[in-house]
Amino acid sequence: MNPRRTLAITRRLFAQFRHDRRTLAILFVVPIVILGLFAALFRADAAAPALGVIQLDSGELGPAVARQLDASDLVEARSTTEAEASADLEAGELAGYVVLPKDFSASAMAGRVAPEITVEGTSQQDAVVVQQAVQRAMAAGIRELIAAQAPPGAPALPEIDPKITYRYGGGDLDGLDLLGGPFMGMMVFFLVYVVTSVSFLRERSLGTLERLMATPLRRTEIAVGYMLGFGVVAVVQAAEILAFGLLVLNLYNAGDVALLFGIQVLLALAAVNLGIFLSTFARNEFQAVQFIPLIVAPQVLLSGLIVPVSSEPDWLQVISNALPLTYAVDALREVMLKGADLAWGSIRLDVAVIAAFCIAAIVAAAATLRREVA
Amino acid sequence: MNAAGAPPTIAVRNVVKRFGGIPALNGITLAIPRGQVYGLLGPNGAGKTTLIRAIVGLLRVDEGEVEVLGRHMPDRGILSNIGYMTQAAALYGDLTAEENVRFFASLYGRGDVAEVLQFVDLFERRGSVTATLSGGMRTRLSLACALVHRPELLLLDEPTVGVDPQLRAQLWDGLRRMAADGTTILISSHVMDEAERTDRLGLILAGRLLAEGSADELRALANTDRLEEAFLTLASADR
Repeated sequence: MNPRRTLAITRRLFAQFRHDRRTLAILFVVPIVILGLFAALFRADAAAPALGVIQLDSGELGPAVARQLDASDLVEARSTTEAEASADLEAGELAGYVVLPKDFSASAMAGRVAPEITVEGTSQQDAVVVQQAVQRAMAAGIRELIAAQAPPGAPALPEIDPKITYRYGGGDLDGLDLLGGPFMGMMVFFLVYVVTSVSFLRERSLGTLERLMATPLRRTEIAVGYMLGFGVVAVVQAAEILAFGLLVLNLYNAGDVALLFGIQVLLALAAVNLGIFLSTFARNEFQAVQFIPLIVAPQVLLSGLIVPVSSEPDWLQVISNALPLTYAVDALREVMLKGADLAWGSIRLDVAVIAAFCIAAIVAAAATLRREVA
Repeated sequence: MNAAGAPPTIAVRNVVKRFGGIPALNGITLAIPRGQVYGLLGPNGAGKTTLIRAIVGLLRVDEGEVEVLGRHMPDRGILSNIGYMTQAAALYGDLTAEENVRFFASLYGRGDVAEVLQFVDLFERRGSVTATLSGGMRTRLSLACALVHRPELLLLDEPTVGVDPQLRAQLWDGLRRMAADGTTILISSHVMDEAERTDRLGLILAGRLLAEGSADELRALANTDRLEEAFLTLASADR
């Protein structure tokens, strides 16, 4: 491999970047915008769902539960009638309502506590919160009544107060902390992949690759020249995304920033090589764009970002374990959330798989260049 | 022009190349000595581009052999002595004219960028982004990229498409000067008046070389005073 010719390719790519502001914007502005949106979605404190309370109980338990619901942080409780609550539920103003029926206390004395809960039904999260709020309010209401009626000196009902220890993360991780690290890795991977594959495809479709093949350039010099050029861009992009994630979004990170950066860079280099390799199979830019859902969708779904790989059906786990991003997601998550380092076997495996993928992709990329000479 | 005994710059012997069973080159033999300007004349689809690609070594022939500057092709080692201008002006549209030429010069590690830009009359436009240049300018720029490293052999696939007559004459003067300095030039065209400027012509049709000779010889052969007619006569005689 001749360094002068290899660097000629790299330098040419830099000159092209200088003239192509749009590509630079895609590489450096888009990830910040997407990460920012992502952060706004996952870090926003969700408003407590509104809950209608219809207190019809003639006994004492109903009013006690209603008082507890009023005091609850989980829901925004308001007193209402059943007809009004039903209309409000349909209008989307209530997430659900609870009826404490006329015989609520009487039924409770007979051994059955039976509030009637209606939830809107299209938001699983709201339904869970509403049920949780009602259950807590009932437990507290019952305790309140028993304490009031107990003869002096009787033992109080024990309070349930579990002590929770968080092995990792300290207990105040939010959705953004949990997803942010892997998401940064995906962003680097896909943006670099798209830009490289389209750029290399232009080399093929505009005939300049044919021209390069008629010069003393070796195929590996082309592939390595590209890897260096886009690699430098990818490194800068990875640094930018990491800085934004850690400094601006304040993502929780218990691990070594240099290791995180290294994983991101390795992932970006894999994306460059994959982009060169897959551009062989497309005849024009439109076809290259058609590959994107093929490459992106399975990896987003199966990499463990959304659903943990271990809870997938067995046959899907096989696919997940064959995708390079699965290892990147695992590595980024373990490093950031658990403070894992290279002494961990799982991190060494992740890094080794991504590195192996990177090498396999560049070998494949160089091999597809060879095929040009039929 | 050829020194006795010196091997030809290009030697093509009984070359056959098939694409999906259909022969694109069907037993072509030709030899081009050093310093000759050889014109490959034929309609679209006759096999001109395929022959040029076989000579550069961009495709492997099915039968026969190709030798360039004494080396059996494909041979990467000899490519630094060859300049190849593809049919479409294959350039980097987002680079300036000068950056394009500089890139090709850097691949070979030699070449005078300013001089070659002057040669194709683009020195004044060297800072322009290539995509903004006219078709004729891009063709000239493509030519500049093919000859910046002063190759011994220049392969030009339809190089004067879209170039206006005055500049075309200018370019031909330049090519003739290069030939006089010993550069061998193979140029393909389907434009007859271009053929007049070559030393020797090969008429190519359906992957076969129908006739060879200077423009005068071909006209005499077909017993006509128009080259176009000569081509048609020789083509129909072949059938």
